[in-house]
Order: sequence, then C-alpha cells, then structure tokens
Amino acid sequence: MTTSKPPSTAERAAAALREQQRREQRRSLAIVGAVVAVLVIIGGLTWFAISREDTTGAPVAASGTPGNTDGYSVVVGAADAPLTMKFYEDPQCPICQQFEAQVGPEVAAAVDAGKVKVEYHIVSFLDRASTNAYSSRAANALYVVADAAGPDVFKKFHDLLYENQPAENSAGPDDDQLIQWAVQAGADEDAVSQPIKDDVYAQWVTNATDQMSKDGVNGTPGVFIDDKLQPDPGTAVSAVLEAVK
Amino acid sequence: MKEWFGTLARLVVGGVWLAAGLLKVTDGAGSVRAVRAYDLLPESVVPTVGHALPALEIVVGLALVLGALTRWVAVVSALLQLAFIIGIASAWARGLQIDCGCFGGGGFDADATSKYPWEIARDTGLLLLSLWLVRRPRTRLSLDTFIFRPLTAPPERLDHDDEQAPVHR
Repeated sequence: MTTSKPPSTAERAAAALREQQRREQRRSLAIVGAVVAVLVIIGGLTWFAISREDTTGAPVAASGTPGNTDGYSVVVGAADAPLTMKFYEDPQCPICQQFEAQVGPEVAAAVDAGKVKVEYHIVSFLDRASTNAYSSRAANALYVVADAAGPDVFKKFHDLLYENQPAENSAGPDDDQLIQWAVQAGADEDAVSQPIKDDVYAQWVTNATDQMSKDGVNGTPGVFIDDKLQPDPGTAVSAVLEAVK
Repeated sequence: MKEWFGTLARLVVGGVWLAAGLLKVTDGAGSVRAVRAYDLLPESVVPTVGHALPALEIVVGLALVLGALTRWVAVVSALLQLAFIIGIASAWARGLQIDCGCFGGGGFDADATSKYPWEIARDTGLLLLSLWLVRRPRTRLSLDTFIFRPLTAPPERLDHDDEQAPVHR
C-alpha cells in the first residue's frame, strides 16, 4: 500500500521548495508591478506638467491681440511695394543684431523708396539667455508700440532695441528703460507704459514663436525674400543686400 | 568586474538621460519646436512627442541610475538612441542645419554639419552601453538586487550554479 505511506522527507522537501518558489514568483511579480507603476506615474505626471506649462496655441482675447499686425507680423513699408521680405527676429538674438547692423540701413532706404516692404515677425525663445526674461519682455514691448503708435514708430523702437541689445546671460534693460526707448521712438508714454509692464501680449508672442517653427524657420534671424527662406544668416545678408540694390 | 562595468554603464547612460530630460522640462514649447525642426513626424503628433519625450527620458534615466528593471528599461533606452541616431543622420543627409535639441535648445545651428558626426558617435556609444545592459542586466548597487531577491537562500544543492541563477532578470 504505497499510496497510504506518509511522504518521505525528500518528497516533503521538494514540495516545500516548489511552494517557496511559487511564493517568490508571486512576490517578484508584485514588486515588479509596483516598480512599473511608480515609473509610469512619475512619467505621466512629468508629461502632464510639461504639457500644462506649455500654453502654445492658447486663444488670445482681443485685448491680447496687438493692432497694426498682419498674421504674427508688423508690416513696415508701402503695401504695394513690389518686393516682400519677412524677418523673424528675437530681441535677444545676437545674430539678429548683426544681421540688422549689416542690412538695416540699406533695407530702410529701400523701404523709404517704396521698393520693398518688410514683415517683422517678432518672436521670443531666448529668455533662457537672459536673467530677467528680456527676450519676451522686449517682444511684448515691440507689439505694444506697434499697436499704440503704428509700424513706423515700431521700426524706430526696433532699431533702438538692437542698437542697445544686452549681452547674452545678463540682465537686460528693465521695463522702465523699454518705455523710455518707446517714447524716444515716438510712442505716447501713457499708451505704452502699462501694457509693457503688464506683458499683455505674452500669449500672442508664444503663439507667434510657434508659428515661426511651423513656417519652417528653425532659428533667428529667419529671412524670407519673396517667400523664399534663406538657408542661413550669412546667405541671408548677401541675398537681402542684393535684393534691395 | 562585469557587474561593476554594468553599474558604470547604468550611471553614464542614465545620467545622460536624466540631464537631457531635466533640461527640457521647463521649456515644453522649445522641445516641440526642436522635434518639429527635424521635419520627420506629422504635425498632428509633433506637440505630443515634444511634451512626452522629456518625461520618458527622465523615467528611463531615473530607472537606469537606480538600477530598477534594468533589462527592460535598457531596451527602451536602446530603441530611443536608435531613433535619435536615425533622426540626426536623416537631418544630416537632408542638409538640415539644426541643433539636435538633445539637451534643450534645438533649432538652427550654423555649425550643425560639423557636430552631426560627434552627436551620432555619442549616441552610438550610449546605444552600445544600453545593449550591454540588455545582455547583462545584473549590476552592482542596483534596486534590482532587491526587486528580484529570493525570499530565502536557495537550497544547498543549487549553490553550484548560483552565479547565473534565473532569478536575476
């Protein structure tokens, strides 16, 4: 009657081992599941935080939309000028400053002569190169001046900002200084000072910057001559000078 | 020795992922633009990828540095590196001049063409280290030691093949 015989020591040990292995497997699975869950939660929360912080594309009310703009640009020059250029510029961008220094006077002369009009697409992504968010504050101020005083004053203010561009990673001019330059360019102090301080076009500037990327411009200055994107700033300088001759 | 090399690989690859992800979390919009600059993905998924990628990088980095679920995470790490190598090589081949956006930033870069080979070499190195960890996920100073630790010491008769015991995955 072997079946009724109690299990031998070896059989009992084997059974105990199998049971222990099953327990360990269950425990392992539970821990792995917990670790996976923790990682997924960390990733999910981070993803959520990043998406929430990025307000790109959020609608702007009428009060957050500057006047005297066309799309996300301020157009300087005669509407019927035969040649159109688009300059995508960040106020903090040093290459934009060099670009403006190299082509500014020639472009201004061609604009005055009615030969060309320029769409200034002011964008801001260089707050990371400023200790006091100069890039976005200056971009807002440019649209404030365009809204309050029109494209010609905007252009003078724009030139003043590039002549006085702060070095990267420094503290740029504060709001009071921006207001002072805006007035110097010809804007009415009462009209521009509060909107500059309140950063009223912040969301507009964010959306303009996203539009730049959608327009295929991956950096500033981004230069189009009659809808043809120049491949790099160096080429852009010679092409613009050639076009306005 | 090999277990210590694995620890080093984990810290290097994980550290790079953590840095890459953390430098991007504060600028989701910039991350989206960097993804868009490659001009490889349809616009409908570009914002999602731009926002999710830094989060994924942080999770992969964290898990590798801690040594949690090393083998699976290393598989994800290797796949991501492969995708980046393809992206950079493709940008290079198409004559795009963009910063890879690997550590924030992104967008036009006049020196891009001279940086592409170095970026691809770096990512290939990280890919190889990730593959090493897929092959040998058991490393020193890792959470996996606790995650996959048996409750009790294995029975005496299993001792001889303990070094490659199947519990370590």
